[in-house]
Amino acid sequence: MKLKLKFTFIFKFAQAAAAAFLVWAIPATARAQDRPYFVTYSHDLEEPGALEVAVSPVLASQRGAGDFLAGWTELEYGAKGWWTSALYLSGQSTRHDSTLFTGVRWENRFRPLMHEHRVNPVLYVELERINGADKIMRGIVGHDGEADHAEPNAITRGEMKKELETKLILSSNVRGWNLSENLIAEKNFAEKEWEFGFAIGLSRPLALAARPDECTLCPENFSAGLELYGGLGTHEAFGLRDTSHYLGLLLGWDLPSGMGLKVSPAFGLNDRSHRFVLRWGMSYEFAGFGRGLRRAFGGRH
Amino acid sequence: MRSTARGIPVAGLFLAVTAAGAVAAEKQPWRRAPAEAHAKTNPYDAQPDAVRAGRKLFARHCASCHGDQGRGGGEAPHVDADLVRDATPGDLFWFLTNGNLRHGMPSWSRLPDQRRWQLVAFLKTLDTSPSPHATSAGAAGESAPD
Repeated sequence: MKLKLKFTFIFKFAQAAAAAFLVWAIPATARAQDRPYFVTYSHDLEEPGALEVAVSPVLASQRGAGDFLAGWTELEYGAKGWWTSALYLSGQSTRHDSTLFTGVRWENRFRPLMHEHRVNPVLYVELERINGADKIMRGIVGHDGEADHAEPNAITRGEMKKELETKLILSSNVRGWNLSENLIAEKNFAEKEWEFGFAIGLSRPLALAARPDECTLCPENFSAGLELYGGLGTHEAFGLRDTSHYLGLLLGWDLPSGMGLKVSPAFGLNDRSHRFVLRWGMSYEFAGFGRGLRRAFGGRH
Repeated sequence: MRSTARGIPVAGLFLAVTAAGAVAAEKQPWRRAPAEAHAKTNPYDAQPDAVRAGRKLFARHCASCHGDQGRGGGEAPHVDADLVRDATPGDLFWFLTNGNLRHGMPSWSRLPDQRRWQLVAFLKTLDTSPSPHATSAGAAGESAPD
């Protein structure tokens, strides 16, 4: 009994200390005007010193098994003006099956060119430690298909995968439009072959100029677009056959409070794809995170 | 031996000129702007609504680092009004578009051209005097937050 009371006190104290730390150390929020993409990357990086926290659930229809809700939590940090690093934690819950944590991803994006060009390249490197039950579909590669998600979690959770995912991101801004193309190459360290995939995104704010006054529902706070993504086979069987492809509609909304919301209904384009995938996401940026950390650990402000 | 001795002042002069150029470029990062960008004019020049929109955009995207009204106190230095006044609108637009990635100023190409021009219209009205919190007298985005 005494031990339980002591534990409760320590837990509550830790909660209060964490809340006080956040209020003191992370004073500023900002809006980064994110693109409404879920799968495609543009050349926009996180501002240096800023931390973006985001959650992105995925709801998918499944033939031959229960529909599922998967998702990831993302902590993205602007390490430098030309380097962004992010940590992803993912999980899923399948109807008539179970709910489980599916793995960790550590992503890094680098801008090799320091100025804007017509086409802006970004190099992407990600290390993944996930299990076979992972269903978040952040990138479709190889011969990924709906059937992979039909197996029971009890079987797939035992398959541990260590993977390297690389992307070449090319992105252009023209007259308010952003067009981004991603070529994905993924390697499971335990297997020989490389798997390939692609993502193409097109988006634009609904209004290009800002209004003089603060507003919530005005067109400048919304952006819309399209996203096309899917697999490209392996290095031995490269192509668009025997893999899945999706076309998603995109809508993003940047609220004056600093929160970003986005949604994307996507439709499978062939028999190997889920018929319907609904993604939505919520993000919040702490602009002064790096400064707060330095302050907390006695560094210069 | 004699030629080596003669070469030292030349090398020293070369290094001094290079260093001076680098310092000047850091002080005014838009010095690297190409002539075409330098000569661009602001389509929103002297439009009060654009200045107000620019002020709103500055509060949204810039104030968390450069402080309210660019007076400093954040991650980056205060916005040096004299430097901004001396720059052409095209210089500022180029700088907002490209940033100074090596030194912590992000590229704001994610904002449409129109909003970057509105920001330039606002920046041209800035009258900042160094605040007690200002960490440096540099231009926007000059110092690294790292």
